Amino acid sequence: MKLSIASLSTNAQLGLLLVTLGFVGLFLGDPYGRATATIDTAELAEIVQREVDHVSPEQLADWIIQGRADYRLIDLRTPADFGQYHIPGAENVPITGLADHGLLRNDKIVLYSEGGIHSAQAWFLLRAKQYAGVYILRGGLQEWKDSVLFPSLPAAATPAQRVTFAKMAEVSRFFGGQPQDVPGAAHPAVAPALRMADMPASAPPPASVAPKKKKKEGC
Amino acid sequence: MIAPFYKYGLFGDNISLVIAFVLGIGFGFALERAGFGSARKLAAQFYFTDMTVFKVMFTAIVTAMVGLFFLAALGIVDLSLVYLTPTYLVPQVVGGLILGIGFVIGGYCPGTSCVAAATGKYDGMAYLGGVLAGSFLFAEAYPLVGDFYYATAMGSVTLPQQFHMSYGLLVFAVILMAVGGFAGATRVEKWMASKKEARA
Repeated sequence: MKLSIASLSTNAQLGLLLVTLGFVGLFLGDPYGRATATIDTAELAEIVQREVDHVSPEQLADWIIQGRADYRLIDLRTPADFGQYHIPGAENVPITGLADHGLLRNDKIVLYSEGGIHSAQAWFLLRAKQYAGVYILRGGLQEWKDSVLFPSLPAAATPAQRVTFAKMAEVSRFFGGQPQDVPGAAHPAVAPALRMADMPASAPPPASVAPKKKKKEGC
Repeated sequence: MIAPFYKYGLFGDNISLVIAFVLGIGFGFALERAGFGSARKLAAQFYFTDMTVFKVMFTAIVTAMVGLFFLAALGIVDLSLVYLTPTYLVPQVVGGLILGIGFVIGGYCPGTSCVAAATGKYDGMAYLGGVLAGSFLFAEAYPLVGDFYYATAMGSVTLPQQFHMSYGLLVFAVILMAVGGFAGATRVEKWMASKKEARA
């Protein structure tokens, strides 16, 4: 009996085509990361100008408290600094190792360093490699300490400032920090020592931090 | 030219909305033509008398999968820029069950209820009203369920990453599943039809 492809029904022909494509696909390897593209400097300048690439320390604190998993937090400092203290959930990646760290181009990546310079430079490196969602923690670890771990109340605080401070004080305690609530007291010249051991990994989330809705995409 | 066009800045936000509108109309049209504007047709799926829903959905899945996989392998689509919904395992399983229950009770899923409402079906409009009411309730109850909503977070994972297999193997396995499913579904339809005849 002769079996020709033309004698099969359309459904069977399509099925056969599908199986053939799938079989070829077995040998094609990893489809991720094949494409290359040039960088659009005008677009990057526009992003920098509009500051849409910043995440504030308060925002990041909020995400951590909510236990969100839709971003990756990258600590660009040395392993020694990282070992001493890092923001919960951070991965330690040296700036030279960014390309091989298995970051996906569609990952939402939040970078931080001590100040802001290294993270800004890493931002450009990643953007040049077409990573789409790269963000910088505003002010780096320095501002994280100032506004999340050790928030301070201004000497002549307005009622609104007091409410904000009360909220931040709770967030601060969640991360094992110390709110500086003595009005008029000078900002500690030497920031209290940061050690991971002092920071409880999980404390009950403060009630005052209202979780935000997560972003929806897809169907 | 490399896709995804929007992420590579081929067009801006405004044009992207126009394109989304055109794609949405096209999607609705395809659903309607497949017969998905009728709750009878959709419900028949659950009685195994008409497996169109299964066939259309699985066709869409394998077409998109094979298309994306080969376009990416040829360097035309940059897959790493395609958005992946992060996995929150337990809340998503629970959400899927709720959607399934709603589907069985109401005869539609959210997408097909829009199609039914657009073609003037009253049950579709009632269903759509239910979708809106449910969304409202969820938003109001958010402080109570918010913690659960973000529970068991796994990040953006794919099956090949999770099970340490190659993408090609997964594509091939899904294709075999689809082809087997199509053949099986056709057989089930015939069997149910003959059972119905025997009863008549």
